[in-house]
Amino acid sequence: MYHPMLFVHWKQAKFLLIPFVVAAFGLPLLVVQGYGWGAGVELGLEAYRILAAYEVWLPLFPLLAASIGAVIALTAWNWDHRYGHVHALSLPVARWEYAAMKMGAGAALVLVPSAALWIGAHLASASIALPDGLRAYPNLLAFRFFLATLVSYALFFALGAGTIRTTMWVVSAVVGLVVGGELVRGVLAMVAPSMDLDVMTNALLWVMRAGGPFAVFTGNWALIDV
Amino acid sequence: MNNAIELRDVSWSAGKSFALRDLSLRVPTGSIYGFLGPNGSGKTTTIRLFMGMMRPERGEIRMLGKSVPRDMKSILARVGYVPERPHVYPALTVAEQLRYHSAFFRSWDRGWAKELMGRLQLEAEQKIARLSKGETGKLLPLLALAQRPNLLVLDEPTEGLDPVVRRDVIAAVLDYVSEASATVFISSHLVHELERICDWVGMMDRGRVVAEMPMNQFKNGIKRLRVADAPATLNGSPFTVLSRLSENGAGSGETWIVRGWEAPMRYYLETVGATLRDVIDLDLEESFVDLLRSSRPPSGGRQ
Repeated sequence: MYHPMLFVHWKQAKFLLIPFVVAAFGLPLLVVQGYGWGAGVELGLEAYRILAAYEVWLPLFPLLAASIGAVIALTAWNWDHRYGHVHALSLPVARWEYAAMKMGAGAALVLVPSAALWIGAHLASASIALPDGLRAYPNLLAFRFFLATLVSYALFFALGAGTIRTTMWVVSAVVGLVVGGELVRGVLAMVAPSMDLDVMTNALLWVMRAGGPFAVFTGNWALIDV
Repeated sequence: MNNAIELRDVSWSAGKSFALRDLSLRVPTGSIYGFLGPNGSGKTTTIRLFMGMMRPERGEIRMLGKSVPRDMKSILARVGYVPERPHVYPALTVAEQLRYHSAFFRSWDRGWAKELMGRLQLEAEQKIARLSKGETGKLLPLLALAQRPNLLVLDEPTEGLDPVVRRDVIAAVLDYVSEASATVFISSHLVHELERICDWVGMMDRGRVVAEMPMNQFKNGIKRLRVADAPATLNGSPFTVLSRLSENGAGSGETWIVRGWEAPMRYYLETVGATLRDVIDLDLEESFVDLLRSSRPPSGGRQ
């Protein structure tokens, strides 16, 4: 049952995925363009300057991962929503089993852009001569990209699994929490000005910091580092 | 008698706009059960309830001797379902859709699927997005039949199809039934279509089952009577008068639509002083329409 489901998901997502796969393959190659250090070059001021310039590109990696995860997740449920889940509900499969297979099929699709990025990162690493003190991390970058795409996929898959009403409830609850937190903060600022309770920033830090569910997006995305 | 589908006092509502109330239905095993009703009467909702797609608020549902929704997985393995609207994936080809669907059914008969594909003139490599309405209308029963189900649930399977395709689909279903002794539950508002093939009939209107009986009993039991000198009220009548209308310019003449009529009952009319002028057979459509009219409140408003 899993293989046909993977096949169906692939048929639905392939045309949307192609530009993302190309981007995942090309991005590492793009970011190393203009690097022409020769072997034996000292890690001097010039190298630092180039590394700083390279960091400008870094946000594109998590952004791409998040986008790919969203696209795969939304194509997973697209047809089911369109036909009112009638086909799925008429199959002799438990609902959780169907959702798990669908989730697994999408997770396997995540491998495709991740593999493209891995190949691109290896080609990019091989295309430049790094100065002493710098190293390329194509495997780590590809693994981080895979994990980030997977996290994004899981999030959007869960959101997409529900009805529009359920999704609206979830989004409204999140917005409500943020707005409520800000209101509480405003009230506390008036009552006790010495107390700085920044709920939104703290919540954001909590999900993004090491150990948080979205920490993978904020870690080190460098293909080339010391 | 075993029932392939059994609903007992099932209720379900969609807010205040629509409700099924105390719905009871029995589909005998091995029968071809025609489920009639006007658009919006609750036929599809009833099907979705016993297919486990929606949960009733009250009542009990059993299919193939098992409880819905508890045993749904094993029930659905034996049920072929053709929904009201196509639910196939447009990006797949016919062959890919068959492969996908077959993966879920152990009883899938690949040889027969291929045979049906030829018989219904469907091309394996044709993309579903490019199928005509008629071709999609043939693909859905093909998917259901190739499962070799014990029970076929067909929700308006021939709606919008041309007569040739309609005939092909019905013929394929009937061939399967005669070979496999399966039960068929077929919902439609095309009365003539069901009249030819069904041996049981259930009629639904405004969320209620208004009649359920063997087809021959239904066809023979509902008559139009022309009666003279009819009394204002009938006491102890052996038949049910569904409606009474005065004949224009005919003095005391009336036209009655009655249910449960049998020839010897003419003597009853004589005992109440009425004279039976004529007994007219109604076809299923006329019976259906008259039955619906008689079951609705006089105001014509929603119940």
